[in-house]
Amino acid sequence: MSAEPVFALDVPGLEKSLEAHEEPEALRAMRRQAREVLAGMALPDRARHLWRYTDPRLFVPALDAPGAAPADSPAGPAPEGPRSAAVVIADGAPHLLELGEGARRAGVVVADLQAAGVEGLLGSAVPASHGFVEALNAAAWRGGVLVRVPAGVSLEAPVLVRVIAGRAGSVSVPRVLVVAGEGSSFEVVESHVRGDGASTRVLSVTEVLVADGARVRYGLVQRWREGVVGHLTVRARLARGAAAQLSLASFGGAVVKADIGARLEGEGAEVETYGVAMGGNRQHLDHHTEHLHAAPHTRSNLDFKVALTQAARSAYTGMIRIAEGAGASEAYQENRNLLLSEHARAESIPELEILTDDVRCSHGATVAPLDPEQLFYLLSRGLPPGQAQRLIVYGFLDQTLQRLPETTRQRIEALVAERLHEEH
Amino acid sequence: MASHPQLADIGSDYAQRYGFRDPEQYFLKAPKGLSHEVVEMISRLKGEPEWMRTFRHRALDTFLARPLPSWGNTELLSQIDFDQITYFVRATERQGESWDDVPADIKRTFDRLGIPEAERKFLAGVSAQYESEVVYHSVKEELTRQGVIFLDMDSGLREHEALVRQYFATVIPAEDNKFAALNTAVWSGGSFVYVPPGVEVAIPLQAYFRINAERMGQFERTLIVADEGAKVHYIEGCTAPVYSTHSLHSAVVELIARRGARIRYTTIQNWATNIYNLVTKRAVAYEDAVVEWVDGNIGSRLTMKYPSILLKGERAHGEVLSIAFAGPGQHQDAGAKAIHLAPNTSSKITSKSISRDTGRATYRGMVKVRHGAHGSRTAVQCDALLIGEKARTDTYPTMEIAEDDVRIEHEARVSRLGDEQLFYLRSRGISEDQARLMIVNGFIEPFVKELPMEYAVELNRLIALEMEGSVG
Repeated sequence: MSAEPVFALDVPGLEKSLEAHEEPEALRAMRRQAREVLAGMALPDRARHLWRYTDPRLFVPALDAPGAAPADSPAGPAPEGPRSAAVVIADGAPHLLELGEGARRAGVVVADLQAAGVEGLLGSAVPASHGFVEALNAAAWRGGVLVRVPAGVSLEAPVLVRVIAGRAGSVSVPRVLVVAGEGSSFEVVESHVRGDGASTRVLSVTEVLVADGARVRYGLVQRWREGVVGHLTVRARLARGAAAQLSLASFGGAVVKADIGARLEGEGAEVETYGVAMGGNRQHLDHHTEHLHAAPHTRSNLDFKVALTQAARSAYTGMIRIAEGAGASEAYQENRNLLLSEHARAESIPELEILTDDVRCSHGATVAPLDPEQLFYLLSRGLPPGQAQRLIVYGFLDQTLQRLPETTRQRIEALVAERLHEEH
Repeated sequence: MASHPQLADIGSDYAQRYGFRDPEQYFLKAPKGLSHEVVEMISRLKGEPEWMRTFRHRALDTFLARPLPSWGNTELLSQIDFDQITYFVRATERQGESWDDVPADIKRTFDRLGIPEAERKFLAGVSAQYESEVVYHSVKEELTRQGVIFLDMDSGLREHEALVRQYFATVIPAEDNKFAALNTAVWSGGSFVYVPPGVEVAIPLQAYFRINAERMGQFERTLIVADEGAKVHYIEGCTAPVYSTHSLHSAVVELIARRGARIRYTTIQNWATNIYNLVTKRAVAYEDAVVEWVDGNIGSRLTMKYPSILLKGERAHGEVLSIAFAGPGQHQDAGAKAIHLAPNTSSKITSKSISRDTGRATYRGMVKVRHGAHGSRTAVQCDALLIGEKARTDTYPTMEIAEDDVRIEHEARVSRLGDEQLFYLRSRGISEDQARLMIVNGFIEPFVKELPMEYAVELNRLIALEMEGSVG
């Protein structure tokens, strides 16, 4: 056993924050329970690799001012593009901007999580016991959104959830719950934006519950301003025959840790996870993905791309676990890292734990610089170096982006362009 | 089974040949458990120089201060009772063990592998002398003429103290990990090899180690130095099962390949399935040097072993080629590490594992490229084969890259012993047993072909034995 000192998690302001809520007793009970879980927790041992690259203490905030003061207007400008619904979480509260007529008639709910009556669902994919950040969120979340799509309903346009990080010194603790009824089909895009310089913190948890035969595309876009320290946890649970596509685009922030994954619980469930991360300056990105196969005939595929400029640092850890009894399953995992600067640094740990023999499973990981031959070719065609580099980076990311829904892809491409233009 | 006279002779003139001191006035077997008194006794008994004695004591402090690893198979690790282990045994003290006590399956394996009579008792630990020391040394006259030193570590320290002191624990300091500290405190036996500049050792150097007293740990210490441009191939272990009741084996092996040198270190580990095999192996490769670890893990209850190469000089090259076979109840937690510290270095890691029945094979690896090691390349390939629905395999590779001008690749594949392949072979009239064996042999072929012929033959027979009863 480790002899490292054990920190009892003491979060000043937590009690006050809990008292401040006016909400159903069921939610209060959940918070109390989470607080008890938290009290029994120690900060993770840095030797355990999930926390090997990022100091957990960064995510232990004083919760004196959750959400803090609004940045500009509470809601900010409405998201652009086609959508079935749009909601903004800002200043510790959800603000419903719109719910399309079609969606409303079909029984789609986009609502404040606090008033939604979600006992039994909330915390079922990310329980407080998941980790100390998740326990903190379960005890102290403010600004929650429920997205529920009834059985058999398909939505053409995505549901947009925008989460606005607060001002300097603030802590945002948002929570999103997506519930997909049997056979439903839709897309949710959750984007994390803004934040004001140093010491803005975000501790976010999202749960995606996918019932039998439902198909959900969930996109998480992180483009915080410089200086934000944030932790994003996403877990999907997939029932029989369900399918999910999870995507992560990670661009902003100072220190970002994300833990996204899916648990395949029903026979025949399938998940695809795509990640695109770009870091520059002295950004620190730490991404973890997890695919747990708990039922037979399940499939998972993962493609995670990281491009780094300047002195950016990235750690990617990925886990595929195939449980006993989850036979006839397939799992694939690929992580590629492109280093565009001699000061950039990348770590990659793609892991497998396979507890039954009837599987097909593989993973691959690479870390490499710009291919000098490709660069030479483009320069020889008269392209300026900056443009040549951009083209190569687009090519590197394109294979992954092609798999994403059109709107998400366009959003991410714009972010890539922005990041690469900053460089030159 | 009658005892064999030629075997009784092994090691009987050891004291005369190596000037070993008669230990009567001290003790023949350390009391169980570990303390500074035990360390003091071991060092005194061996008549070691002061610096080694101090070194052992300091290492013991480190061992006692360090926690057990918090990673790996902590459940099995926590079952080690360090107070129940005898840390030093002189063979003449061993009593009451006879060939009749050796389990039937071990004897049967000897038969099936065709192990010579003379070696059987030795491997089963019932006949040879001088337990904790290397018995099987055949230093060829040729080697001596070339100036090659090939001694057991105790003799090495006595006869070449300056050389040993120069290199000992420079690659693996006692502080490296808890088990390296343990070994440094109580080491006994192992090999010391020094190959002078430019000398090529034509035949592989071999040493057999064994464990054979109740709850006795084996803590051999091996140091191999290949001076500039030298070449050597060292072989440790054997394919035959090495039997003991309950034991801990915790070796430290250090390799130093100076400029332009080549070292290949081959291990076939086949400890009986009750043994903990917790080993630290590391090499340093200087400019243009090449180090190769060829590592086969068949036996033991739990093996934790990650042969490492520090690529310290420009254009140094390192390779690790390993197989692990985890049968029922076994956990082979093996892997490799390549640390690139200099420009244009390269490494290649190939790991193949087979998990059968409740066996668990784990690949745990690390590739690091430090800033400044530009132009480095590394490729890691892990293949796992699963036989039986309870079989388990894990892959935990870690890559830390702090340099942009590098190429790093990692690939892993997991598959079951395939129905399609089986069907194909059976349709050609091959029995199911035979077909399974063919598939497994094909799977480990890249490893087997790197072994000396007699080892390869034995390994193939051994795999055949391990695969028996795997149908159904």
